[in-house]
Amino acid sequence: MDGRVSGRPGALSIVAWGLAIAALAQPAWANGAGGEGDLAPLPADAWGRAHAAHLLERAGFGGTPEAVDALAALGLEGAVRRLVHFDGVPGGAVMPEFDHSGVFDPGLDPFPPSRPATTEAAKANGEALGIQVKSGGNRPIQPVVNAFFYWLRASRLETDRVAYWWANRMLATPRPLQEKAALFWHGHFATNEDKVRDYRKMLGQVELFQERGLGNFHALLVAVAKDPAMLAFLDAGINVKGSPNENFAREIMELFTMGPGNYTETDIREGARAFTGWNFRGTEFALNAEDHDDGEKSFLGHTGALDGEDVIAVIMEQEATARFVAAKLYRYFVREDLDPALAEELGRRLGAMDFEIASFLAMLFSSRDFYAPASVATRIKGPVELVVSTYRKLGLEELPGVPDFNVVTGGLGQHLLHPPTVAGWSQGRSWVTPGLLFERGNFVLDVVFPDIAFVPPDRYPPYGGQILAVHERLRSGMDITAATKPPGVDTDADTMAASNLLADRDEAFNTRYGSYRGWQMAIERVKPIPRHTARLDLAGMIRGENLRTPREVVDSLAERFLSVPLDDGTARGLADLLSRELGTDDVAAAATWLEEPLRIVLHALLSLPEYQLG
Amino acid sequence: MNVVNEHKRSGISRRRLMQGVGVGGLATLAPPWLHAARTATGGDDRVLVVFELSGGNDGLNTVVPHGDDAYYRHRPTIGIRSGDLLRLDDHYGFNPGMLGLQRLWGTGDLAIVHGCGYDNPSYSHFTSMAYWHTGVPNGGDEFGWVGRLADALDPGGSPNFLINVASSQSLAVKSRLHAPVVFDDPERFRRKAFASTRAAIEGLPEPGDGGNATRAYLRDVARSAREGARLVRAAWSSYSSPVDYGIAPVDLPKVAACIDGGLPARLYYVSFRNNSFDTHVQQPALHQRLLSYACDAIHGFIRDMERLGHGDRVAVMVFSEFGRRVPENSNLGTDHGAANLMFLAGKPVRGGHYGEPPSLTDLEEGDNLRATVDFRRVYATAIDGWLGKGHASAVLKGDFAPLPIFG
Repeated sequence: MDGRVSGRPGALSIVAWGLAIAALAQPAWANGAGGEGDLAPLPADAWGRAHAAHLLERAGFGGTPEAVDALAALGLEGAVRRLVHFDGVPGGAVMPEFDHSGVFDPGLDPFPPSRPATTEAAKANGEALGIQVKSGGNRPIQPVVNAFFYWLRASRLETDRVAYWWANRMLATPRPLQEKAALFWHGHFATNEDKVRDYRKMLGQVELFQERGLGNFHALLVAVAKDPAMLAFLDAGINVKGSPNENFAREIMELFTMGPGNYTETDIREGARAFTGWNFRGTEFALNAEDHDDGEKSFLGHTGALDGEDVIAVIMEQEATARFVAAKLYRYFVREDLDPALAEELGRRLGAMDFEIASFLAMLFSSRDFYAPASVATRIKGPVELVVSTYRKLGLEELPGVPDFNVVTGGLGQHLLHPPTVAGWSQGRSWVTPGLLFERGNFVLDVVFPDIAFVPPDRYPPYGGQILAVHERLRSGMDITAATKPPGVDTDADTMAASNLLADRDEAFNTRYGSYRGWQMAIERVKPIPRHTARLDLAGMIRGENLRTPREVVDSLAERFLSVPLDDGTARGLADLLSRELGTDDVAAAATWLEEPLRIVLHALLSLPEYQLG
Repeated sequence: MNVVNEHKRSGISRRRLMQGVGVGGLATLAPPWLHAARTATGGDDRVLVVFELSGGNDGLNTVVPHGDDAYYRHRPTIGIRSGDLLRLDDHYGFNPGMLGLQRLWGTGDLAIVHGCGYDNPSYSHFTSMAYWHTGVPNGGDEFGWVGRLADALDPGGSPNFLINVASSQSLAVKSRLHAPVVFDDPERFRRKAFASTRAAIEGLPEPGDGGNATRAYLRDVARSAREGARLVRAAWSSYSSPVDYGIAPVDLPKVAACIDGGLPARLYYVSFRNNSFDTHVQQPALHQRLLSYACDAIHGFIRDMERLGHGDRVAVMVFSEFGRRVPENSNLGTDHGAANLMFLAGKPVRGGHYGEPPSLTDLEEGDNLRATVDFRRVYATAIDGWLGKGHASAVLKGDFAPLPIFG
């Protein structure tokens, strides 16, 4: 693929930059300096601890020095087999299943697409969401509206619990690549709970990625195409004979398999016809035969009564598919810049491996290219990787509840199960902005010195003061109409915003009250996230190393946490900071008050731009 | 309605009216260099705010051609009835959620540019958005058009010249010489730390990058953070406004705070994020709500700028990566389309219709509107017509005639 078809904001520039570098240094992909571009295995005797650390960073979420040592001891082949094929890892279900709160009620499925659609259905049918319109009294549709907002909140909060459960697996699993691959596929086959509005479907999709993310890509693609979360997200459920909806057919080609430029608008329309009738019922795939268009279609040169699986099979035959998927895996696991000749070769190899993901990754992780200077510590860790790997390197075995994992990663731009668009998260440099670089350091501060003013966002409405304001006004004795007028806004009809003017004019129900009541109903049923802080012992962590001077401590922490060597000037500056906080240059003498100065210097160290590299 | 907009209702032929109202409908017929000569004196304190509607806003249900029967034939279900519109004239009306822009139209502060697009349109959000971000349709560029504009206006690469309020940096602001200040929440745009830690971190030396380009990039970001954060936070903490920006102000109060706080930035970029305008399904209520948020915010921002005494030096440009298919789909929505509207708003703008409205009967293959105005002409308008100095052809890598939207 070249710069023109990559199509993602940000991707063009990275490709162009890669080409420029390649043009300077690399006449051919296979003969780069330090192994760059060379897919041949690294010689076994070149393997060492630094290689193991790099591999654990990329094929997992990094680890403690002990974990790196253990991996290094396996040698290249053994280490790759351990991480990719789980050789020597205990089998069976070692990680706990998700613990459901029990928030779902039968009447909630199928959930209408919007609040207006819900209330219109209630008006037309006398009921919606399994709740009847009140036979008399005030605001007859209010119970329906309350139930609508209940499920919006409950599903969202429960989805945040799914994210916690998943991140805990990333942290504690003995099979980190299983979770890392699931995270990759979640970004590739991106679906967002905001639209799916059903935590059960989101959970099912994560489990699909965990179970099949290292298997065969063709099988994975079919499974995703039948996945209720994906079907809901891309409106496939309303793709019916006679009025095909093109959303899914477009995205499967543009984002999931081939990339733009390899098919026509006609292929999209014909492909959409093949997927007609693909739907879901609750959390199961359902093929609605009467909605399926079984007529003849012409798709990428194939003609016949194609159905969805046929279309996927045709897509799998396209050379563009192997190239696209291989390049995407490479950019995620190895490095962002990829020269076109190497991309071509990677596509050829993925095709030759019959799209077996594990084999392809094992090939990448064994290659000289993977350990070349161009690959090592040149990748910006995504927010979830940053947070999980920080906890892993601190030796934690359970995710802290303070700070909130979803608030931290969301603030850094990666709220699990809420990717911003169907294209997933833009990787690489877009992860870090000036504002986000601060936020990354602030996260570390919140771990080493927890915020004692922390308010759990799964108990108290985090989105602005609207719901709380309604709450307070009702508590003070106001009636619902008065209490739900937007507070603090000029109510002159000439200057008031349209959205505020229109918000509350339907007296069959009150939207703001429904939002308030829905929140109350949700927190009654969604289990709270445990809110323990990280219990750290940095002094204990380094005790065995017999470090004597502040500089030795800084060098040890840098070795433990950073993927690039710390330059002398920075190390000296941090050692000075530690020395001032200790009040001495004799670390041993300060053994009993070491912890807090260590936390201060760790915060400074992990706030460096260099800590963002993995 | 003021005098400016009265012009538009007394027109002879609609087509002629569309050719640039306010100077007798002849303006776009004049050679482009005349405009450049007249407007090249743009002051150095002029500000452009680019406002992105992500997801592909449905222009046809935004500025509705209620006078054209073809509109209702294409949209029997989701077409907005004439009586429900915020009426502009005998031919057009705004979506009922657009009270904010209707107010700007009434005071002559809104230019509507019809038919904006490019040849061989892409129906992919990401591809098309990248074309708009780089200003290079059917191609691409390492840098965004706003970033290149920053480099042209300020070749010294001075700090805090280019601000992007966002959770991640837009390709549009990527620049060779400038490190854009990118932040989301001004309150959080700071390093939380003990004073001694902060001093230590800020006093650390600038190491080399060891040949690692990603590391060099991160160092640039750190520099921009150091330089921008204090100013942005100070501006935000001294800003408050009685103006109603609506329920979702789309980051414009933050821009207002930065402008009023005296930041040197001349280019701002904000986005109505997350592909929100991608209304394939159940469009009407959702689209009206989205438009109300966007228009409330833009109106609030323009009025706030006037209140704070910056009205004469701030203009807003609004775009989306594509319009939507002309016929509605079977799910009360619309699919990805081609040509679309753009808006320019603010006191310096001469309100009215510009460009050539695409025909609703002579559609492109795939039932899409034909582009009649290359979107880069609107970029050129903002560059040479507003910010001045005749940089448009260098920034846009070609000559695109500006529209006579600015004085």
